[in-house]
Amino acid sequence: MLSITRAARTPALARAVRGLSATAIHRDQQPPRDNAHESTTHFGFKTVPSDMKESLVRGVFSSVASSYDVMNDAMSMGVHRLWKDHFIRKMAPQPGAKLLDVAGGTGDITQRFLEYQDRVNGDSTSSVHMLDINPEMLAEGERRFADSAWVRDGRIAFTVGNAEHLESIADETFDAYSIAFGIRNCTRPDQVVREAYRVLKPGGRFMCLEFSRVENPVLAAIYDFHSFNVIPRLGEAIAGDRASYEYLVESIRKFPPQNEFAQIIRDAGFTTIGKGYENLIFGTVAIHTGYKF
Amino acid sequence: MSLRLLSRAVSTRTLSSYSQIRHLQSSVPDSSGFSGRDNAKNNTNLEILDLALTKVHDLGWTSTAVARAATELGYSSMAHGVAPHGGVSLISHFMDRALDETCIEVDDQLHEFPDTTERLRFICTTRLKQTLPYEQRWPEAAAILAQPQNVPLAMQKLGNLSSQMWYLAGDKSTRIDWYARRSALAAVYLSSELFMCEDRSPNHQDTWRFLKQRFENMDKAAYIGSKTVAFGEQFSRNLYNILASRGYVSH
Repeated sequence: MLSITRAARTPALARAVRGLSATAIHRDQQPPRDNAHESTTHFGFKTVPSDMKESLVRGVFSSVASSYDVMNDAMSMGVHRLWKDHFIRKMAPQPGAKLLDVAGGTGDITQRFLEYQDRVNGDSTSSVHMLDINPEMLAEGERRFADSAWVRDGRIAFTVGNAEHLESIADETFDAYSIAFGIRNCTRPDQVVREAYRVLKPGGRFMCLEFSRVENPVLAAIYDFHSFNVIPRLGEAIAGDRASYEYLVESIRKFPPQNEFAQIIRDAGFTTIGKGYENLIFGTVAIHTGYKF
Repeated sequence: MSLRLLSRAVSTRTLSSYSQIRHLQSSVPDSSGFSGRDNAKNNTNLEILDLALTKVHDLGWTSTAVARAATELGYSSMAHGVAPHGGVSLISHFMDRALDETCIEVDDQLHEFPDTTERLRFICTTRLKQTLPYEQRWPEAAAILAQPQNVPLAMQKLGNLSSQMWYLAGDKSTRIDWYARRSALAAVYLSSELFMCEDRSPNHQDTWRFLKQRFENMDKAAYIGSKTVAFGEQFSRNLYNILASRGYVSH
């Protein structure tokens, strides 16, 4: 009941914010780097007070939670599954590895991680801690794994929490940290990466799957057309929520490009190999990797 | 409508790439400031990969070997990603290391060999001895390198090896047969390496004999090659002179 009322309220909230700050649209401005004293941040193309972003993002995901998986398939034409498969193959988890799946949401990464452990390594000692700021999204994940052997064996834990403040997690606890399509929704990505550094064991691996910049101008134009014209309409038709999906495509444009994000990862103390990222489909999506040495 | 959209998108791209360039420029002093720390950390990957090489005998050219090495050094097994493509990255690391070692080893002995071919043979022998500890596992590495996705890397490494060997042997020329000489040496090296992995003779004496014969063949081929080039040069010069004497070309 609670989730229904939230879902109904959120697009209205998002629209209100849009009206409120219609004059503050900065299309090409990079997100603030050092925002210790910043009082505003971006929410899509809109500028909002920093302390509001968290609740606005929570609103978006509360409203899309139930149709999140269907919409992912519709927007990416199913390719997001391949991205996530590649993400786990690239991670190549070792037997017994403990994964912290931040912004775990509906459990796509968790599912693939544990399947990889079962099938490739024949390992049953590895485990995943799923963390999401949004109770509705996490509830979708809990529903998904409710009947699985993994939950029965205690290999999946669920926590509602903020990626920027992982107080409930001790230092040097996890072998791997994953955040897939989540970090751009955080108010301070640099703080998220620093927390990741803290909770990883030495030698641990930080991996981030996120929408990024298409470098080729022609492809970028096609991609922009799809983002600004097709996706919001799909959102309206399938999820009945245009505003949330407009936020999704706008937030992609506001997230730092590949190189800058790789530098944020290095600044947090991680070691990167080579450029520190891999582009998928011309940079539509990038996988960033860092090691804690 | 769509045209306007397109042009808007393009101008956005230009603007953002401009801001990236500016960002790059402004971050130049920063990156040099970090390089010291990055180097210290880079050593950690190399440390893991070096230790992983000692595991190759038991575990093969695999990310398992790298993971085992990482664990022994007190790191999480997930640090195996320092070899981003698993086995082939480990092989690549070995090839870099082996070439470095070869350069260091031959450096102070090369002057003892007056002849270029002798120098090349000495360098080749030294490099082959680097592979000896991995003799049992090297055919696997060769198989991995022969996989289609790894062929570009294998070619690059082999080309680099061949270039480096010619350079060490004192060849700094940029003549027309640059590629021919490099590929000839690469072929000599590769065939000897495969021969060595199958060689069961004491002290691998068959391998060293095989290598000597390959160099003799190469010299023969080079001799024939240079004769051909000389003939071609002479022929074209004669042809030119004949044409010139008939007034077909201006002097």
